[in-house]
Amino acid sequence: MIDIKNLHKSFGDLQVLNGIDEHVAKSEVVVVIGPSGSGKSTFLRCINLLETPTEGEIYIEGERINAPKVNVNKVRQKMGMVFQHFNLFPHLTIMENVTLAPVKLKKMSKENAVKKGEELLKRVGLFDKADAYPSQLSGGQQQRVAIARALAMEPDIMLFDEPTSALDPEMVGEVLDVIRDLAKSGMTMVIVTHEMSFAREVGTRVLFMDRGIVIEQGKPDDIFSNPQNERTKSFLSKVL
Amino acid sequence: MEGLSNWWAGVVKTFCLCFIEDNRYQLFISGIGISVRVTILAAVLGVIIGLLVALCNLSKNKGLNAFGYVYLDVIRSVPMVTQLMIIYFVVFASVHWSKWIIASIAFGINSGAYVSEIIRGGILSIDKGQTEAGRSLGLSERQTMMSIILPQATKNVFPALCNEFITLVKETAIVGYVGLVDIQKAGDFIKSATFKPFMPLVGVAIIYFIIVKALTLLLGRIEKNLRKSER
Repeated sequence: MIDIKNLHKSFGDLQVLNGIDEHVAKSEVVVVIGPSGSGKSTFLRCINLLETPTEGEIYIEGERINAPKVNVNKVRQKMGMVFQHFNLFPHLTIMENVTLAPVKLKKMSKENAVKKGEELLKRVGLFDKADAYPSQLSGGQQQRVAIARALAMEPDIMLFDEPTSALDPEMVGEVLDVIRDLAKSGMTMVIVTHEMSFAREVGTRVLFMDRGIVIEQGKPDDIFSNPQNERTKSFLSKVL
Repeated sequence: MEGLSNWWAGVVKTFCLCFIEDNRYQLFISGIGISVRVTILAAVLGVIIGLLVALCNLSKNKGLNAFGYVYLDVIRSVPMVTQLMIIYFVVFASVHWSKWIIASIAFGINSGAYVSEIIRGGILSIDKGQTEAGRSLGLSERQTMMSIILPQATKNVFPALCNEFITLVKETAIVGYVGLVDIQKAGDFIKSATFKPFMPLVGVAIIYFIIVKALTLLLGRIEKNLRKSER
């Protein structure tokens, strides 16, 4: 589903990603962990080209996406992204947030988009907030709307960039519940997170990144109970 | 007592001389028509030009960038009166459009420079995450700008734009230089005809005050409407 070959990214002189080769299969839930500054978010943002790789190739469903002449907008419609700071559109109601892209991109008629929106808002437990504005919602609620908004485009892949890092502790659970449900439904996902117990529970595979490369990866139980690499060990000893 | 009534009789007489005799009030009425028309057309042109120039200045295209900044430099460095006269007597010298339309174009071009900086600031004030959210959904750069960034920027810059409109109302008081009789020129004419400066000039001031006050109230209402998503 996602194929990444020799991915490099630098910002000026700063090398953030130093050659990543990775394959994500359909319905896999890949969790990326690692210290801050290790390049986890940049890695994720390269997958939907919010950052342009400086070197390497990225294939989504067999199509190379970081080549000239590729319609980036079309590529992105296959991938939903959820941000640390939600990034809901504050001038639109919750329902408008969810229906904006499908309607603008002519993926659905207005009526169908609203129907789909109702279904998604029910799924994340916020149907009663359809006519509210983002500022009237708590952080946890906003993040659940952001997930619904991404799902409205019926993506094949979901990318999560530290979805619970900006939340009050008591709101983390409600957001993780939604992501967990999504994992169970068979969605292909890449999740960057600091929630280790969650990573262990929902991940089908864990990647540990440091200094722009994947240092160690494997089944969650193996990585968390029996890490091989010294850096993985020292990181996990600090966060677990 | 007699002094007071004499004084009052004088006031009434001057008032009649300045505003009633020879139907002089009609000069003011047509003057208001000119001032209001020039302001409205100039404001509309100013917002359109301002938006385009702001987008030029924010664009990654070097040519558009250069155009935008040269425009800003030139327009902001030359006095409005000079610009008005250049546009009227030079640029549009051989074009036979209504005077007020040509004057409006001059004011629109001038106002556009200031509006463009207001709009540019407004666009830059919107969090980068908004653009990223829009683009990650698959919206194009243009769609993101039109449905996500601009609506929010408009709300943020509205007070500054109101200021610009209010300034514009009063700036049009120089259209007399190209032969238009607006409120200011009407007052001038009456002053020269009657040799009474006080009443006509205070009349001009009061009329401008009323127009600006009405505009302020109207814009305040619109702003309240724009802010309804912040309940």
